[in-house]
Amino acid sequence: MASTRDIRRRIKSVKNTRQITKAMELVAASKMKKAQQAALAGRPYAQLMAEMLAALADRVEESFHPFLVKREVRTRGIILVTSDKGLCGPLNANLFKLAADIKTPAKFVAIGRKGAQFLVRTKRDLLADFQVHDRVPFNEVRLVAEFMMKQYLEGVVDTVEIIWPRFKNTLIQVPTVLPLLPLASVKAVLAELRADAGHPAPATRSSDSQMLFEPDAPTVLEALLPRFINREVHQQVLDAKASEHSARMVAMKTAKDNATKLLGDLTLEYNKARQAAITQEILEISAAAFSAA
Amino acid sequence: MSLTLEIVTPEARVYSDTIDTVVVPTTDGEVGILPGHIPLLAQVDHGELRVTKGSETLILAVGGGFVQVADDKVAVLAENAITQEKIDERAVEDAMKRAEDALRGKDSLEPAEIERLEGLVRFSVAQLDVKRRRR
Repeated sequence: MASTRDIRRRIKSVKNTRQITKAMELVAASKMKKAQQAALAGRPYAQLMAEMLAALADRVEESFHPFLVKREVRTRGIILVTSDKGLCGPLNANLFKLAADIKTPAKFVAIGRKGAQFLVRTKRDLLADFQVHDRVPFNEVRLVAEFMMKQYLEGVVDTVEIIWPRFKNTLIQVPTVLPLLPLASVKAVLAELRADAGHPAPATRSSDSQMLFEPDAPTVLEALLPRFINREVHQQVLDAKASEHSARMVAMKTAKDNATKLLGDLTLEYNKARQAAITQEILEISAAAFSAA
Repeated sequence: MSLTLEIVTPEARVYSDTIDTVVVPTTDGEVGILPGHIPLLAQVDHGELRVTKGSETLILAVGGGFVQVADDKVAVLAENAITQEKIDERAVEDAMKRAEDALRGKDSLEPAEIERLEGLVRFSVAQLDVKRRRR
């Protein structure tokens, strides 16, 4: 049996760990609340914009804007959104699994340090990596989106897709791939996302292919499409942050609970050892007294 | 027959209801939308958006964005939107002044930041217009 001193030392270290994980849980919880609010508030906008575009993709000529043109996919362009720090359970590992499944040629852009590290480690083609502050300022995300659009227009990549941990609730985050460009591919994923958000699919739209544009189609598309990409990427990063903080809070809560349980076990063991030592001592004293008598 | 109108900004869903008519400020001037309107996609300008439902008229100030009409569904995506009674004149004036001051040092700002500030000023003007006209 371990000596009481050893057990005491372990109790102390477990207590420290518990204190740290508890503090981290509280920090994550408060960040989570803010991040979740931001992510949920932005959703209707992103959703509506995506729907607007899905309807649009059917009704306008491909030639109106390069974003509408379907071309042969040689290289996929993928934005991988991960967290900067670890200690958030299986969140990043699940994303990496999704990214590792991509066997076709692809070029990557990473948001978050963990993703960048992973892509370098697995020797993927990393075009750039970006850091985004916890508050997810639109300007920082815009840089990423604009960089990706430029790569698309220059033909470096033939699609733009985003992989991020979609926030469902505090306990569940689903790693998801969403194709953004070309726009025709947006539609398929949209129905699924909508069903997931608790809204049924919208009634089938009338088939009239006429659509009026004011002032005119190229002008509207020129303004709308880049903004859509910017907003969509922004929304997904907000979502990823909400997921990150949720996952971290849950992971820290589990760690704290484990520490509490371990502490109980250790205390029991310590008391037993102490009691055994006392009993031993009494035995020795009484034996000595007996033999002296 | 009636229209459903949804006004959504990046921060929140501002309005969602079935209505009779809506007048939207577009870059080409105001567009009145009634049930049965053909599919339309237009750029929304900073200005005043009027919603009529029964005998009531609701007025909102909207910032730039887009409006889509399809199958009697009107979707307005705006950078900003606020109902008339919620506009705080003094706060708007302050915000506008701050933005204008920041714009004075234009050379040192990033293009994206300039764009944001100019949008803010235009939306402020639209808000003040909406607020003051009704008195």
